[in-house]
Amino acid sequence: MNYRGRKTVHMSNASWIRSALERFEAPLTRYAFGITGDLERARDVVQDTFLRLCSESPARLDGRVAPWLFKVCRNRALDVRKKEARTLSLEDDRSESRESPDPLPSAELEAKEGMTRILALLTTLPENQREVIRLKFQNELSYREISEITGLSTSNVGFLLHRGLRSLRELLQRDSRGSSESARPVRSVP
Amino acid sequence: MTIDLDDPKLTAYALGELADESESASVEAFVSQSDDARRLVEEIRETASLLRKELGAEPSIELTGIHRERIDRSLEKRARAGRFVSWIAAAAVVLLGVSIVWWWKLSLMPEISAPAPRVSSYAPPPSAPAEARPLAAPQSGPAQETISAPVGIEGGVPGGVIGGMVGGVPEGIDPASVQRLQSSSYIAGRPSAPRSPAPAFAYEPRDTGYLDVQRARTPFHTEAYDRIDDNPFLDVGQNPLSTFSIDVDTASYANVRRFIAQSMLPPKDAVRIEEMVNYFDYDYPAPPEGQPFSVNVEIADAPWKPEHRLMRIGLKGTPLSLDDRPRLNLVFLLDVSGSMEPPDKLPLLKQAMRLLVDELTENDQVAIVVYAGASGMVLPRTSGDQKGVILDALDRLQAGGSTNGGSGIQLAYDHAVAHFIPGGTNRVVLATDGDFNVGVTSQGELTRLIEERAESGVFLSVLGFGMGNYKDSTLEKLADRGNGNYAYIDSLSEARKVLVEEMGSTLVTIAKDVKIQIEFNPAEVESYRLIGYENRVLRAEDFNDDEKDAGEIGAGHTVTALYEIVPKGAPSGTPSVDPLKYQRPLAPAEEASTGELLTVKLRYKEPDGETSKLLERSVRDDGTRYASATQDFKFAAAVASFGMILRDSPHKGNATLDSVLELAREGVGADRHGYRAELLELARRAKSLRER
Repeated sequence: MNYRGRKTVHMSNASWIRSALERFEAPLTRYAFGITGDLERARDVVQDTFLRLCSESPARLDGRVAPWLFKVCRNRALDVRKKEARTLSLEDDRSESRESPDPLPSAELEAKEGMTRILALLTTLPENQREVIRLKFQNELSYREISEITGLSTSNVGFLLHRGLRSLRELLQRDSRGSSESARPVRSVP
Repeated sequence: MTIDLDDPKLTAYALGELADESESASVEAFVSQSDDARRLVEEIRETASLLRKELGAEPSIELTGIHRERIDRSLEKRARAGRFVSWIAAAAVVLLGVSIVWWWKLSLMPEISAPAPRVSSYAPPPSAPAEARPLAAPQSGPAQETISAPVGIEGGVPGGVIGGMVGGVPEGIDPASVQRLQSSSYIAGRPSAPRSPAPAFAYEPRDTGYLDVQRARTPFHTEAYDRIDDNPFLDVGQNPLSTFSIDVDTASYANVRRFIAQSMLPPKDAVRIEEMVNYFDYDYPAPPEGQPFSVNVEIADAPWKPEHRLMRIGLKGTPLSLDDRPRLNLVFLLDVSGSMEPPDKLPLLKQAMRLLVDELTENDQVAIVVYAGASGMVLPRTSGDQKGVILDALDRLQAGGSTNGGSGIQLAYDHAVAHFIPGGTNRVVLATDGDFNVGVTSQGELTRLIEERAESGVFLSVLGFGMGNYKDSTLEKLADRGNGNYAYIDSLSEARKVLVEEMGSTLVTIAKDVKIQIEFNPAEVESYRLIGYENRVLRAEDFNDDEKDAGEIGAGHTVTALYEIVPKGAPSGTPSVDPLKYQRPLAPAEEASTGELLTVKLRYKEPDGETSKLLERSVRDDGTRYASATQDFKFAAAVASFGMILRDSPHKGNATLDSVLELAREGVGADRHGYRAELLELARRAKSLRER
């Protein structure tokens, strides 16, 4: 009977992990993809994330599974990216007052197949703004959770979101006003 | 507090992220006073909702089956005792079976692809599962014959090996590793190869290292796949006869389904169209008195190539009259403890029970009691025609669960006695891996209970799972005392034999060695193509040869075959051959001018007969348009198109996954068990996998 009792604990642990897998598999893979830029690496990262979840206890993570998963996933993805030496790590442009790259001209944006205008504009934002925007609006995480995931302070998260949203608004508005201005680079912040 | 229009607090406020009350109040005050601020908040919310909408609509990326399986393996490791996540592992075992089939058929390949295959004895190489039992000829006894006798191409080998291997995975082989090996090699793709004889495909490791390790551990040639080449169009002048053995296998469909469920498209050669088509039942009329099965022919436009005709030949075995077998009152007592989780235990048991459920009618009744740490009833007495309810209850069973207390075996017996069917088969069926605790404390008490209940006419059957070949004496004793029987279930074919064939003889073979031969009329038909049945094709002369084995048909079973027919005058699609120098083509017989399209001939033997009987009927094409075809016809056409797309068949014409969906929707009909809806779902998922 003891034996069975122990099994039951493991089973409930397993089903807990399986339901977490079901719930977060797709969001995490998309998130990791955003960091690694490589689908296979992203999947490996998410796999590793869940492998780590296997050794966590449900009680310890109660109510915090989402930020925990995103955090582990993020760190793993950044490690992978560093190793791949593909791009700078996110940390490096945390300093923030970097200027946005030139916005893409409309035609080029349209050419990004199937991508809507706002998503195309999103790709022109600095990576740290892009990341918090995705965490906030794609994964419905709170400032506090995003802060836990990224290691930024909540006010920093709020600042990045504020900045990112403002840039998007401005870019969209300029779009609707006409394309003559759109070749001019946007200055990020005064 | 001062706030300006570029304060991040304004964004936080707009997004409902201001937790601090005083801060929140001051922002609110500011917003209520300033039109600009109000407009700004609105704009922020608009941008946010646009982002939510667009980001939410981004295509979803998921893990592959391989990744999921690694996660599951880690879970398994944590669970220490080698328990395994059932569905992935079950899939792996089936895949292992399939790989063996591929390997096996590969060895037969020279015979299959030679123009005139002959019967020859075939001794499996040492690593072959020599004792594997065929499933392809599932309904009756001759199962063993098929293997022990010389094996011809039509000998029912494929499913057989699957059946034989489910649960019979040799020691040292980790089913999951085989699956991984296969999955990876599918991704790696398959080089093209010459046609005949079909060669082994060299497997090119993609993921290196650990695949090689897996390979070394695997005694089977899992990297070799049998290639299926779609039957080509044949010119009626040169090939007036088309002969094949019926096939009642459906394994390929289940396999395709597993692949897609794991977000992978199945490898081409895993897709056998006839097995997919035959997975579904079609509503053919019952045969006339004195004939074991009815023969139904329907012809309409081929949806993937409207200038061609599609012919569906459907056989339906006589449904057994209900007096022919006793009514069943079965109470299953299932061990769902964690130790039942490996694929050769609970998952196999569930598969086996599905087979049985298929055979039940409204005269039968089933109940399910489970026990793990505690026991309880998961399905109270349910009429056999409530298949959906029973299947749902089965689906919900999970190893490791436990239910509320009580004595499982007493509960089961009480239930069986309470709903006793006089003159019927009343049975408690105990399924366990032997490590059982059914709520009765001592062995003696248990045997007494069973003996006592046997007097009431409720018998006990004990099914042992996953214990190797070791026969557990306790279980055997219990079964003896309970006027019952004991069976060890190591494979689906064994399960079928025990649960379906022996349990009240629910499934009865009504005809064996069923062969079909079509003679096409050259005056009406340019060329034709048999869809699927690639490894069931017989030589013309095998049709009348009673020594040649062929498939069996069970009571109430349906078997369907499809032909694509190029009518006279249309481009035949066959390569042209130079006219003969020494011969002239034979002149058509007088019958060719009757307007008949073709003649269908069937040969079959009575279940205990040695001499075959012949059924024959001629068929005309009345020019039915596709739109007026029956729903069953449309659905079968949808399944065939789906198969052709998955196989990337050269003959798929203008079929697309969208057209499959459309056809299947039109043909879905009443779909009482939801099987057809499942095909729709598969096509949808295949579509999203393709689009990725």
